[in-house]
Amino acid sequence: MSQTVIQDPSAAIDIKVDVELRNVFKVFNGDTAVRGIDISICQGEFFSILGPSGCGKTTTLRLIAGFEEPTGGEILIRGKSVAHVPPYLRPVNTVFQSYALFNHMTVLDNIAFGLRIKRLGKAEIQQRVSEALRLVKMESFARRFPSQLSGGQQQRVALARALVNRPAVVLLDEPLGALDLKLRKEMQVELSNLHQTLGVTFIMVTHDQEEALSLSDRIAVMHEGRIEQIGTPSDIYENPQTPFVADFIGDTNLFQGYVEASDPAALQITTDKGLKMVVQPQETWNGATSQPVVVSVRPEKIQVSLNELDNQPNCYSGRLKHVMYLGTHVHYLVELSSGDCLTVLQPNRAESLPALHTPIHVYWSATDCLALTA
Amino acid sequence: MLLVPAGAWLLLLLVAPSLMILEFSLHPGLRPGQAFGAYGLGNYLQIFQPIYLQVIGRSLYFAISSTLTCLLLGFPVAYWIAVMAPKRWQNLLLVGFVLPLWTSSLLRSYAWITILRPTGVLNTLLSTIGLPTLDLLNQQSAVLIGLSYNFLPYMVLILYASLEKLDKRLLEAAADLGANPQQVFWKVTVPQTLPGIAAGCLLVFITSLGDFVVPELLGGASSMTAARLIYNQFLGATRNWGFGSSLSMLLILAVSVSIALLIKYGDQEPERY
Amino acid sequence: MPPTNFRNSRFLKRSPQFSMTTRRRFLQASAAATTGVILANCQRNLSDVGSSDGGNTASPTSGSTDTLHVYTWADYTDQELADSFTQKTGIRVVSDTYDSNETMLAKLQAGGGNIYSVIYPSDYMVQKMIGMGMLTELDKSQIEGVDNLRDKWSNPGYDPGNAHSIPTTWGTTGLIYNSTVLNPNPEDWAYLWDEQRQISRKMTLLDDVREVMGASLRSLGYSYNSVDPAEIEAAHQRLVELKPAIASFKSFGWEDQLMTGDTVLSMVYSVDAISATLENPDLNYIIPASGSSVWTDTMAIPTTAPNPEAAYAWINFLLEPENAARAVERLKFATPNQPAFELLSNELKENTDLFPPDDVLKNCEGIAPISQEISELYDRYWTELRSA
Repeated sequence: MSQTVIQDPSAAIDIKVDVELRNVFKVFNGDTAVRGIDISICQGEFFSILGPSGCGKTTTLRLIAGFEEPTGGEILIRGKSVAHVPPYLRPVNTVFQSYALFNHMTVLDNIAFGLRIKRLGKAEIQQRVSEALRLVKMESFARRFPSQLSGGQQQRVALARALVNRPAVVLLDEPLGALDLKLRKEMQVELSNLHQTLGVTFIMVTHDQEEALSLSDRIAVMHEGRIEQIGTPSDIYENPQTPFVADFIGDTNLFQGYVEASDPAALQITTDKGLKMVVQPQETWNGATSQPVVVSVRPEKIQVSLNELDNQPNCYSGRLKHVMYLGTHVHYLVELSSGDCLTVLQPNRAESLPALHTPIHVYWSATDCLALTA
Repeated sequence: MLLVPAGAWLLLLLVAPSLMILEFSLHPGLRPGQAFGAYGLGNYLQIFQPIYLQVIGRSLYFAISSTLTCLLLGFPVAYWIAVMAPKRWQNLLLVGFVLPLWTSSLLRSYAWITILRPTGVLNTLLSTIGLPTLDLLNQQSAVLIGLSYNFLPYMVLILYASLEKLDKRLLEAAADLGANPQQVFWKVTVPQTLPGIAAGCLLVFITSLGDFVVPELLGGASSMTAARLIYNQFLGATRNWGFGSSLSMLLILAVSVSIALLIKYGDQEPERY
Repeated sequence: MPPTNFRNSRFLKRSPQFSMTTRRRFLQASAAATTGVILANCQRNLSDVGSSDGGNTASPTSGSTDTLHVYTWADYTDQELADSFTQKTGIRVVSDTYDSNETMLAKLQAGGGNIYSVIYPSDYMVQKMIGMGMLTELDKSQIEGVDNLRDKWSNPGYDPGNAHSIPTTWGTTGLIYNSTVLNPNPEDWAYLWDEQRQISRKMTLLDDVREVMGASLRSLGYSYNSVDPAEIEAAHQRLVELKPAIASFKSFGWEDQLMTGDTVLSMVYSVDAISATLENPDLNYIIPASGSSVWTDTMAIPTTAPNPEAAYAWINFLLEPENAARAVERLKFATPNQPAFELLSNELKENTDLFPPDDVLKNCEGIAPISQEISELYDRYWTELRSA
């Protein structure tokens, strides 16, 4: 899958929309889990819904699968409304968070389950099951029971069980959440490969931003039942539209403040602690003077210098509070004279590290930071 | 060492009495107060006389029919309580359903007499709404009603325990893979709760096989069961403890075999992960 | 009392409306009769109800001379009787009840009965237990009032000279029926067969092999205690003929159905029938003309009795006409004690159900012990009858 992303599917006629959510609400016993979300997911896209636990992302997935009916709004799959269509009639298959394999059946029977329900011919079932087993590299485990498999192996079976049905959409609910780090990395690669091989639409729910960033074509960041932002991974990372997205995706330093003066090229901002900052506004900027804002600066965008630099707009003095050596990078904690604490991430240039408590200057350009309306 | 107390109890309460019954059963025609005669299988051969086989056959018929009835009635109830009812009501519903267990089974059987007798509650109701009355009391049907009613709560309790542990995501997974509700039920719910079903059936089967209150009170003139036959051998006029013991051994054997089968095949289900 | 008799005379005292308390007591007692918890009998501490050690039969008080354990039929003793005995002698009475002679025998044989100093075996059981050496030969010098017994019980066949037992109650087996429904009214056993269609599935018989077979034998003109296999076979065939008309075999609990009209006729023991007829004038009790069984319950001292002195005191107490008469008035059983009989109200004295005239009794027999082989024959036919 290429990273050419269709921001507005309706604009591109040749791109088909597989799943569409229109102003979908879901209320459980008075608690609103999903508060009016709109998503269009294109055919063949790897789409992730990312957010902290309780943000409504799993509910959204279950609404698409049909395990929940929306309280309001509409869901369309391949252009058809699926209101009141039970899960077993929807052209989607789910890979469940803890796999939900049938422990009374062998791996083979688990994978063949959907095909047998469809009453396909014996030969076809056999052929498709072995294909699926090969796809997830589990050929030699067909006769085992799920309890005799490791977590990663169960994960593969769960994948095969969904994929063997050749669904229009594969829903993945925290598919790698139960695996250890190394296995997770491996499976991420395999998931990506599978997606590229099959060209099926994947919708994945995850709280792991790294997983979302590395696998997805597009990501929807959810927070408290709403979608904060939908965009490509770089979009989400480089141009977060809200303080929540900026904070949730990657590390960042945030300064609360307000706009003192604005022109199309630069915003003059004063933070609550009294720092003056110059920020280049985003294209979508439409804030006014005295608008409260949050300035976000990624740690890796901050430069460190032992000398004060007059030609930099955003240059502040402070002292080094903590240094963490990370091998490829060095992580600094800098306390500014204003009292703010900054994290700074610099490539390890093999220079000798500054000593603790050294007076130091940090700076960044107006284009390396973002002003987000609070 | 930790097994010693349990082992001692087992020996005292289970093994020793069973061995005693076995010993009794091997002396043909043994009566209390008599010296043990020669060993022999006469008591066991006596069982194969047609009248006794008929009694055993009736006991099996009562036990199997009431087990099936309990399963058919108990499963929907247990399923409803465990899966469909709101979580906070589950305990209350369960308590409500097993409440009859707090009364004596004798009392419950008397209640059924009141309901089923010719001028009883049921027939009064039927004739009020213009339907023909039923002669159910003192028939096999009354025994089946009584046994099923008595043991239904046990079945529901065991099935509930099993259904409550049922992983609901498996049901969703099956639906997700295209199974309609019936297919989900037969391909996932039933296999997943099979150990519970087997345990419930076994319990109802064993207890109704040994019950003689219900057949005695509701069954009328032709209600002799194996349990009553054993009772008659021990405490009736004949006092043929030898024959009674051989019948008891037969019941013990039947029960042990079914439990062994349950342990052997019930255990094959792979553990949940 | 006849064999395997699940009689429960507590039931006698219930009101026709079935008050809740009597119902529960009845159920308790019959639970013991039917659930097979036979050896664990309902126990009542007559003289010390409510005290903390009231239910303490587990520890035999054999060393104690001031407690008497009595093992008896339900309601042959009551609180009043026990209280007046305690008042007179200072001996505390703890009474346990049983529902059949066989239960009592089994408990004593199993060694669980060695706390009892007085037991109440029926006639044939007395004979059996004497044969087994389980009853103490009574020391007549310690007993006063044996000469109060009516002639018929002064030298009974089951225990010549009352050497081991003192008769205390007696009764008959007969038919109770609803006189407003049945026409003609029954007079003899033959009625069951002659009017089979009229009473079909509205009749109960006793749940007792010897009584039912005895009745059938008698209806054929044979002895109630026949040991002739051909006669027994014929009696069995006759019962098979009757079988479709029998609703159930019940030794207790037949009252309900009779009073509600679900049944119209029951074979019963007189002791149970009398209060039913007193409660409901539509119900009549008859002793079949061709003869029935007559039974006697006695007091005896088992050889294992821990407290024979108290046992003698108890027997003497109950032989006193005033005490015996008071018990009869309350508990409605027939007494073989002539002076006690004289003390009864005319109403009871003239109740021919309770005290049948001699010309009726002359056809009646006591249930006699029979040999093992014959007993097994009876039992096999019984099993066949009950399972067909």
